[in-house]
Amino acid sequence: MIIRNILILTLNDLAISFKNKTIYLILFIPFFVFFSLELVDSKNTEIKNINIGLIQKEIYAPDILQAITTGAGVFTVYHVASEDEGRKWLKEKKIDGLLLKSEKDQNSLVLVVLKKEALITLSIVESFAALQKAVEGNSINWISDIKPLQEEGIQKQTLPTWILMLVLLVSFIIMPAQVAEEKEKKLLLALLQTPMREIEWLIAKLLLGMILILVAVLSLHLMGRFNFENAISYAAFMAVGSFCFSSYGIFLGFLCRNQASARTLGVIFYLPHLLPSALSDFSQKLTAIAPFLPSYLFYEPVKSILLDDGRITNLFWEWTYLLLVGLLTFFFAHLLMKKRWLM
Amino acid sequence: MQIKIHNLSKVYSENRGLLQVDLEVEKGELIAVIGHNGAGKSTLLNILASWLHPDSGQVLVDGINLRNRLSVVRKIGFVPETPNLFDFFSVEYNLQLFARLFQVPFNRIEEILKEVDLLPFRNNKIRVLSKGLKQRVSIARALLADPSVLLFDEPTSGIDFEMTKEIYRLLKGYHALGKTIIFTSHRPEEIKTLATRIIVLHQGYLVFDGSPLKYFQSAIHEKLYL
Repeated sequence: MIIRNILILTLNDLAISFKNKTIYLILFIPFFVFFSLELVDSKNTEIKNINIGLIQKEIYAPDILQAITTGAGVFTVYHVASEDEGRKWLKEKKIDGLLLKSEKDQNSLVLVVLKKEALITLSIVESFAALQKAVEGNSINWISDIKPLQEEGIQKQTLPTWILMLVLLVSFIIMPAQVAEEKEKKLLLALLQTPMREIEWLIAKLLLGMILILVAVLSLHLMGRFNFENAISYAAFMAVGSFCFSSYGIFLGFLCRNQASARTLGVIFYLPHLLPSALSDFSQKLTAIAPFLPSYLFYEPVKSILLDDGRITNLFWEWTYLLLVGLLTFFFAHLLMKKRWLM
Repeated sequence: MQIKIHNLSKVYSENRGLLQVDLEVEKGELIAVIGHNGAGKSTLLNILASWLHPDSGQVLVDGINLRNRLSVVRKIGFVPETPNLFDFFSVEYNLQLFARLFQVPFNRIEEILKEVDLLPFRNNKIRVLSKGLKQRVSIARALLADPSVLLFDEPTSGIDFEMTKEIYRLLKGYHALGKTIIFTSHRPEEIKTLATRIIVLHQGYLVFDGSPLKYFQSAIHEKLYL
């Protein structure tokens, strides 16, 4: 009898998990992680053409120069006017690495990259080693030093990823559940029986999301003692980003009848926004997909502002895109609220 | 004429709802809306409370179309079957929140708390209150803006005898003050005691509209309850 009851209750719980869509989450997470890992562990990363920058007036060792320029299609060489221009191209990802002549040894090079711990850096070094072996056999490495543009510690380098996680957590997990709870408990309908306008409620919710994001991000900065130089650009971009994602989260909340559905839907949106953006440094395929996501257009500028001295004035496309996504989702949320959708 | 309903329909996917209902309500009436489950009683009240938008037809309250929500929202107070209150906050907090939104002074809260006999519970959190007390908080909230129309969806459902008596007292009291009251019910004794007019809905259609005396002598009552 006990086993029978346990079975009945288990089946009932499973039926509930189907009803509130939890089961989809259980299937979706492994599928999505597997799919992302497949892209990260792409087998053909080493054959990707590497864009390498050389300074026009720099005198490189002739045999190295010849090997690079005729490097069996591995390298595409770009000539830059100066080291500063090369660094700028590197930040803009026009080139993957910049070669400078080593001051210590005339026959070796210094490789300047965006990040020392990135897949592309490893790829460049490996390609150089293979090229050198083909030309000279075993001898002293052509690349004697690797200098990253982003000199900060690993903690600061991962800061944009943590910020993205926090923003998406508030937007896709907390906000939809909050909206769905007010719908499920008919609290929103009670509020709509007052002279309150729909748009007032939406703006209040939007502000809540933005405040939660601001508090979370500020706490992270205070606890980690991370300072930021471009405070105005950073604050402005965070304001646009938090507007976009809070609005997105509210819209998702309107698509759900109850909190359980909202949490499931939140996770379904959370992972595809987080992983491709956060892992884009490690996968060329993800780098190709990620720019279509608003999370990437938030993550990259935050990274640029925090680590590369980026400014909001140079990020016009990114903040315009986020603003448009925010306005669009706000409009749809308003439409669903007016229609009393799933209330 | 305080409420004029013309050709009102709201159809759900499972063939439930309200179909082509026409109704006129005079000021000061106390109307019981009855019918089997799924007959359309709650749908009618939900439309009047602007919780639902009808598929077709129109409702005028004091000559103003219900679609103009902001203009009629102060005229109608709605007490749903399940009290929808902010559980984590106190009775007073809930009333203050809605008083702010209605822009009514806080001394109105004192008056209402006294009227519905909730003064001893003003600082209690909603979640610790019984269903009957929650229902009274819900009534208090509906009365904040002093609406001329009060809607009650199954006001005594799931509450004990004493609380039921208290709700009847409140309904009679507000009717005596000249308010128009529409309530849904399943209880014949409730209908008999309170209503001045009875409306019967069956499968979404209005099938009876008349006095309690006529209703209790009709075949419809026998069909519904006997």
